[in-house]
Amino acid sequence: MQKQYLLPSSNLMGARLAGSHGDTQEPKTNPLVSISDEPETLYKRLSILVKGHDKAVLDSYEYFAVLAAKELGISVEKVDKPPKTIERFTLLKSVHIYKKHRVQYEMRTHYMCLELKYLTGSTAAVYLEYVQRNLPEGVAMEVKKTKIEKIPEHIQKPVWDTLPQVEETEVKS
Amino acid sequence: MQLGKGSAAAFARAGPGPSRPPSRRAGPRAERGRAGMAARAGWCCRAGLSCGALLSPALLCPALLSRAAGGTPGTPLWGRAAFSSAAAVSGREGPQPREGSVRRRGRAPQFPRSAAPPRTERMAVDQDWSSVYPTAAAFKPASVPLPIRMGYPVKRGVPPPKEGNLELIKIPNFLHLTPPAIKKHCAALKDFCTEWPSALDSDEKCEQHFPIEIETVDYVSSGTSIRNPKARVVTLRVKLSSLNLDDHAKKKLIKLVGERYCQETDVLTITTDRCPLRRQNYDYGMHLLTVLYHESWKTEKWESEKSEEDMEEYVWENSRSQENALDTLLRIKASENVRNVTKEELLASEVVKNYRNSITALKNEGETESNMSQYKESVKKLLNIQA
Repeated sequence: MQKQYLLPSSNLMGARLAGSHGDTQEPKTNPLVSISDEPETLYKRLSILVKGHDKAVLDSYEYFAVLAAKELGISVEKVDKPPKTIERFTLLKSVHIYKKHRVQYEMRTHYMCLELKYLTGSTAAVYLEYVQRNLPEGVAMEVKKTKIEKIPEHIQKPVWDTLPQVEETEVKS
Repeated sequence: MQLGKGSAAAFARAGPGPSRPPSRRAGPRAERGRAGMAARAGWCCRAGLSCGALLSPALLCPALLSRAAGGTPGTPLWGRAAFSSAAAVSGREGPQPREGSVRRRGRAPQFPRSAAPPRTERMAVDQDWSSVYPTAAAFKPASVPLPIRMGYPVKRGVPPPKEGNLELIKIPNFLHLTPPAIKKHCAALKDFCTEWPSALDSDEKCEQHFPIEIETVDYVSSGTSIRNPKARVVTLRVKLSSLNLDDHAKKKLIKLVGERYCQETDVLTITTDRCPLRRQNYDYGMHLLTVLYHESWKTEKWESEKSEEDMEEYVWENSRSQENALDTLLRIKASENVRNVTKEELLASEVVKNYRNSITALKNEGETESNMSQYKESVKKLLNIQA
């Protein structure tokens, strides 16, 4: 019985199919993997900004995210650590009067920005789900995805060339 | 320690005198720890009770014991509670049970078992750690074989150990995400990933084959709601050089979009957020692009009224500079009594063309050294001046 598998192709058309495997010797069919016919979305850049109150937690998370990207074969462009922002406010210490006695609070937010390059839709979905499921408590994340697309068919040529010649009616203003 | 000593004195003063009312506070709470006791010591001292004595059971155990031994059945409860706080002392209560029920407020066991040894002692060095912490879990000191200390150090001492350490439980730990565990997870997830097409290895190639860039933002945070209204914003970016536009269409498109076009990078940016869903915003953005493209190819009747102020760049034809130059040249020719030369001939001549190029360069590119010198040369040639 012949085994059917998808050949890895270097040209654009072939690589558009999701789930194409590189194995030619032993095609391992994972029963959980399903391959669909719709073309793969392409993400030029994935920018992950992680915000938290504790720097040590963010450092550990950065180690985890970078290692996960490396293991999954995603190229990490850079890891940026923007400076922290401190939000401070002053409140009255007492419930009633005593205006001269106040108490001050502050909230420190540390940031970590991870930039990944050249991901397909499936890889991005897998990586983001893995990384978001293991997001520690008290840490927020913003993911900026830059998808690249071809120019759609209706913008290739101006539509006036194809329309049949219609008699122009005078517009009475 | 000062509090303990002071209240020891107070206790000694009280002696076997009138019994104080049993303090419901001091009794069961005595076991809770020094922090709780320190908070209440103030109250107790104020009330005259020597609950401060409980702060240093080592100091006062002998005193308490002597009191209990000679005491009446109606001893105040705090005395008995003080016994239960010290494990060594509780043993003494066994052989002398009080009449009636053994009143045991609090959760001190009658026959306390010794705690089982922690699991860490039975752990091998080469064990599979991902089976100890397979998922995110709180820190369990008996399951983590590391001598970790955390917290503010005691005076002239070290931070508190891991047993019963709240700071270690509070902070999120990454014990379930050790490098071998991450590698295992990624190996299992690798099947679901696809490869990036190798032909698109640079930004320029991506730009050439896939000119349109769509930017969307996802937000993940903990809170009462997982929705974020900023998530519906879609930004569409495209370079006009990749669209099929002629000169007139490009200028008209730039005029139509106004601020959304960047001259330096030749990028048109359309940001849509007027629809409630991201997909709708994306569709609207593409619709806008389509409409702009097709409208810019149309030529309306009123576009012929485009005046010099509306022009994006300087055009020498039919400008005042052309009129002035031609006028001057005609008058020069007339004064030299040359036969009538037509305007077309003058326009086609070399000197006028040079002059035109230098003027347009000056107006469009601004004043630079080369532009100014070119202008000087062309004027000298035009007016036949030998400097």
